[in-house]
Amino acid sequence: MSYWAPFALTGVTATLLLLPVTPALYELRKRRDAAPLPTTRHDGRITNFAEAFQSRLQPLLPQLEKCRDKHELLRTHIDGMEVLLACSHDFNFDPDAMKGVDAVMCGEAARVPAGRVVEADVYADSSLELGEGAALRAALGARDIILGENSAVLRWLHARGNIYLRQRSAAYGRLSAGQSISLEKGSGFQRMHAPQIFTVDLNSHGSGLIASKAHVCQSETGNRKERDDLFASRERIRVQGNFVLPTRASLNANVIATGEMRIGPGARFFGNAKSYKDTVVEADACVHGSLVCGGTLRLGPRSYVAGPVMAQGDVLMDAGSCVGGPDALTTMSSSGVKIAAGCRLHGTVWARVQGNVEN
Amino acid sequence: MLLYLFYGTLLLICIYTVRHYYFTMNRLFGRQRHLYVDVDTADWPAVTVLVAAHNEEAVVADILKALMEVDYPADRLTIIPVNDRSTDRTREIIDEFAEQHPSIEPFHRVGGKPGKAAALKDAMARVNTEVVLIFDADYIPGKALIRQLVAPFFDPEIGAVMGRVVPLNVGKKLLTRLLDLERSGGYQVDQQARMNLHMVPQYGGTVAGIRTCALTEIGGWNENALAEDTDLTYRLLLAGWKTVYENRAECYEEVPERWPVRVRQIMRWAKGHNQAMTSYMFGTAKSSSLSWVERLDGVLLLGVYLMGPVLLMGWLLAVVLFYNGVQIGGGLTVLALGAFTTLGNFAAFFEIAGAARLDGSRQRIRLLPLTLFGFTVSLISVSRAAWQQAEESLLGNAELVWDKTERSRTAPVLEDPLPVLKESA
Repeated sequence: MSYWAPFALTGVTATLLLLPVTPALYELRKRRDAAPLPTTRHDGRITNFAEAFQSRLQPLLPQLEKCRDKHELLRTHIDGMEVLLACSHDFNFDPDAMKGVDAVMCGEAARVPAGRVVEADVYADSSLELGEGAALRAALGARDIILGENSAVLRWLHARGNIYLRQRSAAYGRLSAGQSISLEKGSGFQRMHAPQIFTVDLNSHGSGLIASKAHVCQSETGNRKERDDLFASRERIRVQGNFVLPTRASLNANVIATGEMRIGPGARFFGNAKSYKDTVVEADACVHGSLVCGGTLRLGPRSYVAGPVMAQGDVLMDAGSCVGGPDALTTMSSSGVKIAAGCRLHGTVWARVQGNVEN
Repeated sequence: MLLYLFYGTLLLICIYTVRHYYFTMNRLFGRQRHLYVDVDTADWPAVTVLVAAHNEEAVVADILKALMEVDYPADRLTIIPVNDRSTDRTREIIDEFAEQHPSIEPFHRVGGKPGKAAALKDAMARVNTEVVLIFDADYIPGKALIRQLVAPFFDPEIGAVMGRVVPLNVGKKLLTRLLDLERSGGYQVDQQARMNLHMVPQYGGTVAGIRTCALTEIGGWNENALAEDTDLTYRLLLAGWKTVYENRAECYEEVPERWPVRVRQIMRWAKGHNQAMTSYMFGTAKSSSLSWVERLDGVLLLGVYLMGPVLLMGWLLAVVLFYNGVQIGGGLTVLALGAFTTLGNFAAFFEIAGAARLDGSRQRIRLLPLTLFGFTVSLISVSRAAWQQAEESLLGNAELVWDKTERSRTAPVLEDPLPVLKESA
């Protein structure tokens, strides 16, 4: 046997042992991934994209003002972004004028012609309207925004005033308004936020009227102090199986049901409720608290929930039902949301898969 | 007899192995449950934040500054720094903040029992809100964290909530890098999988919240508990309250930078956990109000720190049985024996790898083989802790000793930009 054999064997063994830890030792020495994991430190608000877009374009506002006086089209740059300042009355998002543009700032009331697709983000210093079948990536409006029939916004949409979604239009991603969002039949959404959200049926005057009135239950909630006291002092009831609050009955408690839950017609429920399976809030019933549902949640005609509402399945809202209040915005979150015309919501609605207004 | 003990050891190790793999697979491929994360607008309840601080002059300013910037209605938020008998500048720093911010109401504790649970128990007398959040002084909350931790309390079944802890001082030493991986495995995989599977997510005592009426119902903080978080998790569970884990409620913490500090920390955790095991294992196993999944997971969770000495015993038994010429089982047993008595439980490492993937860590995963060092140290430490506990209880000289984890931070860090996960349009 060779004199070197034991050394060779030791060397080979050492190499084989070291091989699996070589990347580890290399990383330990080079520290290429030694920073703390990034965490979500933003506030998670729905309007963050719009606000970030606004702050990027802010330095161009004086230039937009000048351009408005001259009614012209002007190209400029900011933060590596090609921006088109459009202040002529007849600007129609012409594809030739939009070539290579990342963002458009409209100084006058703007209209995207029917069927046109705009890939740039749009800032409208006045109102903005999408024609029938038009589509755009994202938009921020200083006033109102109207989405025409069958039009779509793909990423986010924010108006400081009101947003109107006409029939069968859709706002994917984030949809928010400083004042209100009005959705017509067949319109779709994913995540939206506004102090007032209405679903309307322009063909039916009755539904329109219901949506514009405050819900009768909102006056029963009491002031902040009363709500706090109730939150702290309620009894907790745990029900193995189904729970039913009978017609017109009243209950002040927090209830957890391992089965289904039914709040009977005209009943008043003061407290937070949770069901492991489906929940039904019948016609004219009110829940002054939150609702957590492991299945599908149905809010019957003219029913009311103070919120928040969290459902693992879908939420179905019948005509006249209401979630939250103008002075107590809330969140409704579920897999899918289907809302009838004539409903009213206040705050955030989050349909993780898809939300729409019944046709 | 020894052979049956050895089979029992193998069986236990296999059960925990299956548990680790199941959790990791669930996180990688299963349906994720983040039920409360969408709640961003609500009629938020009044909240008190307790900041536990004992000689925390190096870090307390950071957390108070961060809490002043959180996105929560100012009139619904009270902050009580619980200065527990500090002998350094902690009191002075807290008072300076309180002068500038009326929402800070300091509680300077000058006597009483040592330990966080005892300090929190005294501080609870000043709390008049329905929800209480608890942070250790070395944590740095983000803007949305308070809302994220409060949102689950709209669910009437929830008694406590736990957020995710992310190490801040990762790049300092080998130990901090290993703890970073270990924390990822523990939170990103273990806790979230238990949340997904309706099991028993653990209340961790910091970056956490509790419902005041639930705490009152179970008799308040147990100042005799070495691990008040585990103790609380089980008392709540047995009283019909659930604990939820919020993986996206992330908060930075400082992990130990010296091995002796780490050893003391894990020994305290092990003793506290074992203490909870003796108190609640039987009750959890036979509780009729819990689902079988909760009972099983609850029992296994209580036993995790006992697996250290069990594994060591398995190694010892394997050697003894081998040299006595005992025939050990068939092929499967030999396979299990080979896998788990040589390098320990591989499933735990798989869990860490899964977590690193979920976190999007590209390079740090290369350190995985080195976690064997951390594993070995932990194994010896928890075994030592179990031995000490057994000895103390046999000799009847058990004494509550509180080891506060030593801080390495020497100056505030908030002046430095922290890594931020940005929203993208």
